[in-house]
Amino acid sequence: MNHLQDEALIAHFYREPASETETGAGNRFAVESHLADCAACSAAYAALRNDLATMKAADLPARDAAYGERVWRQIAPSLPAYEPVKKRWLRMELWRGLGLATACTVMLAGAFFAGRLWEQKHAPVVAVQPLAPQPAVKQHVVVVVLSDHLDSSERLLVELKHADPNNEETLPPLRDEARALLAANRICQKDSELKNDPQLAAALNRLDQLLDEMANRPEGLNAATLVQFQQEMNAEGLLFEVRVLRSRVEHQEAAKAAQSLRGKPQGGTI
Amino acid sequence: MLCMGMNDQQAVQATLAGDKDAYRVLVVRHSPSLFRVAFRITGNEADAEDVVQEALLRGYSKLGNFDQRAQFGTWIYRITVRCALDRIDASRRDGRLNGRMEANQLRVSEENDPEQQAVQVADRTAGPERLLLSGEIGALQQAALGCLTSIECAAFMLRHMEDCSSEEIGVTLGIAPNAAKQAVFRAVQKLRQRLAVLRASA
Repeated sequence: MNHLQDEALIAHFYREPASETETGAGNRFAVESHLADCAACSAAYAALRNDLATMKAADLPARDAAYGERVWRQIAPSLPAYEPVKKRWLRMELWRGLGLATACTVMLAGAFFAGRLWEQKHAPVVAVQPLAPQPAVKQHVVVVVLSDHLDSSERLLVELKHADPNNEETLPPLRDEARALLAANRICQKDSELKNDPQLAAALNRLDQLLDEMANRPEGLNAATLVQFQQEMNAEGLLFEVRVLRSRVEHQEAAKAAQSLRGKPQGGTI
Repeated sequence: MLCMGMNDQQAVQATLAGDKDAYRVLVVRHSPSLFRVAFRITGNEADAEDVVQEALLRGYSKLGNFDQRAQFGTWIYRITVRCALDRIDASRRDGRLNGRMEANQLRVSEENDPEQQAVQVADRTAGPERLLLSGEIGALQQAALGCLTSIECAAFMLRHMEDCSSEEIGVTLGIAPNAAKQAVFRAVQKLRQRLAVLRASA
């Protein structure tokens, strides 16, 4: 074993391992064994121990029992009292509460304005654009009903014209169709009177008589009454009138559609 | 209301709760031990008293940061050591002499100049035996300590006088345990060189 270095001797004196890799007990035993065998190291360690033994602590000036009190009296005027923790806590909670309230207010205001913006952006067109006058809407509905009614009436009259009196199976559908058209015909009839359209009113009046007979004849619709309608009620002439009226209505509707495309919506009349 | 019966933890809590007088318990209880370590490091009674006061003031101002699971005595002890180191450094910067600031004189004595050696010793007529017997060796030790850096001086004092381990010294001085150990090692080597003249004269 090599001679011990000063660092190892000093560490041994202070009962510490000479290096971080050595354990205290094992290292101490190894050093003591070496010192017992090596005169040079033993002499060096004795000299070190002698030197360090002379390094005694200087005499500590005596402090009496009142020393601590004197220190306190000297420093006490310089010590500001700590603010009680409770007050600090309350202040902290107060600030936290104010912050929370402010945040809530900001959020509510933001939500309100966001809602307003969203409402303006997504509002239905109907709510923005001025509504068409109520009579015009009503008139439009009547026009639609009239055109459909005339179309349906034309089909009924065609079926009536070509119906085979000997085939009884064709009669009940004719009667049912007449009943269905009767109510619509009367509405259109009243509307034509209000609009002062005598041609339409006269045609609808004759159509009303025919439909009424077909729908409500006491003996029902049979071969004899069918022939009678075909001959006496001049169904063929009425068919011609309905066709003319339907053509006129279609023309009027086309004109109205053209006006709508030009951006001038206007409630039309029949 | 002051209650000397409260322990350190209770006193700390009461102080932080606004009871300033509770800190008095801690001051009275720990001042003697703080004075001892401050004196060991500074080697001067007046400086040691100033260090104790400064450490207790600093401890009071930092009490809010004190981890109450730790020991107040250990915590204020470390503050005192660091205040003592600051005091040593400040004294050396100021060139102020104290009991350890005769190191330059001692260094001259290592050159074996009889005249200079005579200057450094208070009693010009005293021989080595006289030095040993009259306590002048203590003055020489203080002078030798003045040649150490503040860290070396504190590490040596904590190791040699206070019997602290390297780990404890490291924690107290805020350095690694191995660095603390090396500081002690360097301090011992320097002290032995400074005191060689005393050994040769004996």
